[in-house]
Amino acid sequence: MIVNRAPEQSRRIRNSALALLSVALAVYFAYIALTIYRSRH
Amino acid sequence: MAHATDTAHDAHDDQPATGIKRWLFATNHKDIGTMYLVFSLIMFFVGGTMAMIIRAELFEPGLQLVDPGFFNEMTTMHALVMIFGAVMPAFVGLANWMIPLQVGAPDMALPRMNNFSFWILPFAFTLLLSTLFVPGGAPAGGWTMYPPLALQFGDSFPMLIFAIHLMGVSSIMGAINVIVTILNMRAPGMSLLKMPLFCWSWLITAYLLIAVMPVLAGAVTMLLTDHFFGTSFFNAAGGGDPLMFEHIFWFFGHPEVYIMILPAFGVISEIIPTFSRKPLFGASSMIYAIASIAFLSFIVWGHHMFADGMPLAAQMFFMMSTMLIAVPTGVKVFNWTATMWRGSLSFEPPMLFALGFLFMFTIGGFSGLMLALVPADFQYNQSYFVVAHFHYVLVPGAVFSIMGAVYYWLPKWTGNMYNMKLAKTHFWLSTIFVNVLFFPQHFLGLAGMPRRIPDYAVQFTDWNMVSSIGAFGFGLSQILFAIAIIQCVRGGQKATAKVWSDATPTGLEWTIPSPAPYHSFTTAPEVH
Repeated sequence: MIVNRAPEQSRRIRNSALALLSVALAVYFAYIALTIYRSRH
Repeated sequence: MAHATDTAHDAHDDQPATGIKRWLFATNHKDIGTMYLVFSLIMFFVGGTMAMIIRAELFEPGLQLVDPGFFNEMTTMHALVMIFGAVMPAFVGLANWMIPLQVGAPDMALPRMNNFSFWILPFAFTLLLSTLFVPGGAPAGGWTMYPPLALQFGDSFPMLIFAIHLMGVSSIMGAINVIVTILNMRAPGMSLLKMPLFCWSWLITAYLLIAVMPVLAGAVTMLLTDHFFGTSFFNAAGGGDPLMFEHIFWFFGHPEVYIMILPAFGVISEIIPTFSRKPLFGASSMIYAIASIAFLSFIVWGHHMFADGMPLAAQMFFMMSTMLIAVPTGVKVFNWTATMWRGSLSFEPPMLFALGFLFMFTIGGFSGLMLALVPADFQYNQSYFVVAHFHYVLVPGAVFSIMGAVYYWLPKWTGNMYNMKLAKTHFWLSTIFVNVLFFPQHFLGLAGMPRRIPDYAVQFTDWNMVSSIGAFGFGLSQILFAIAIIQCVRGGQKATAKVWSDATPTGLEWTIPSPAPYHSFTTAPEVH
């Protein structure tokens, strides 16, 4: 259900979702980068 | 604990859309939860059918029903379907249904993303299951996809990798939704420590998902580039390291095991207090125990690889850290037992499943401790003992908790009571047959029967026959589960708002009518 929210709550929801998404992407690329590093040393 | 001061539900003008649109464009957490649960039930039967093929082939020695290649496809696909298609979506479905109801939120925080998370899954599994029909057949090297074997799959390989990426994206989006909902949309007055244990277990699980699903995605992306783009991450011929894949895979794989069991702990922590008519013993220690188990899950991955060769110090570290998990797990089992101590117990179907969980998950936990011992693991490794261990944890563990959760909340979802006699029969048949199915596999493993084989030496025949009879019995018993659900959805004795009113269910979900209105908590309740 799409509900109307207070702007402050919307901002908090958006920021926490983006932060978590960034963590997921960072882990993904970090693991590939670490494996590349490991296979070159 | 909490009770709502405002549970009135105003007559909403935005009723559910009709027909397929309701489901295709669903943003309502209850609709999406229902779709996850139905999808999971279908996948449970698909994966179960594969298990029946495996057990039929293993009923007696020799090759009788399927060729060995197809047998390997079945073992691989059974695992992938059950893990990613049955158990995980079932818990996400429960989360979708119950988290907003338990924290007093009108919906999940990101409803459109919620829709996307679900609808990725049917595509992912259509892709995965369609590999059964491509040249070379479905993936057959085990769900762990170890290279170099995985790099030799046929046309199924890119389809498998894409399907896994899709499942990962779906899981990560689902996890983001859970965390954001819990952290931002709790009813006024509901502090984190007042939150129900099911929400707590899911909050921690969601962090695990975000931490490790990208690791799996990274591993399979590298497999893909090894196969198609000439890289040699895991290809020894090109200077790569196949063992590196195992490390990365199990760094994902062990937390994944807990992703499948922590929400189960949450479910059991809801059911046992209700039917013991006592508050949960040591509720805050339960939260710390779940968090400790989640932390430890990141430092034990090496126990999956003892026999692959690793320094003695690493073996010792992984052995000790694995055994350490018994401490918070022991706290949980103790607290559940202490909750029942001198409680006024009653044995409705959810409680039966919770008790079944308690006994049989513990059996799986103890065989896990045996496997954690390095010298012993060298014996057990790659044997049926391992199969018995993880099936005890996952079937009478995770799957029983899912069934218990369905029997606990189904009247809240549908507004009808289900056939108690049928549900109890389902429990007893499942419990008897699940033990007939998996207990003999301990004996087979200790006697030396390897896992993932379609044929075996004749001395293993008797226990294999017993195990297969258990499998067929367990499989057939699940038809009762489907019948109980379908009957309940279609009608039955009306459920009250509290549903288990002669017990003591606590939590906001019991303050709204049964069935839960399409829109609930449009005005946030106040929690005292």
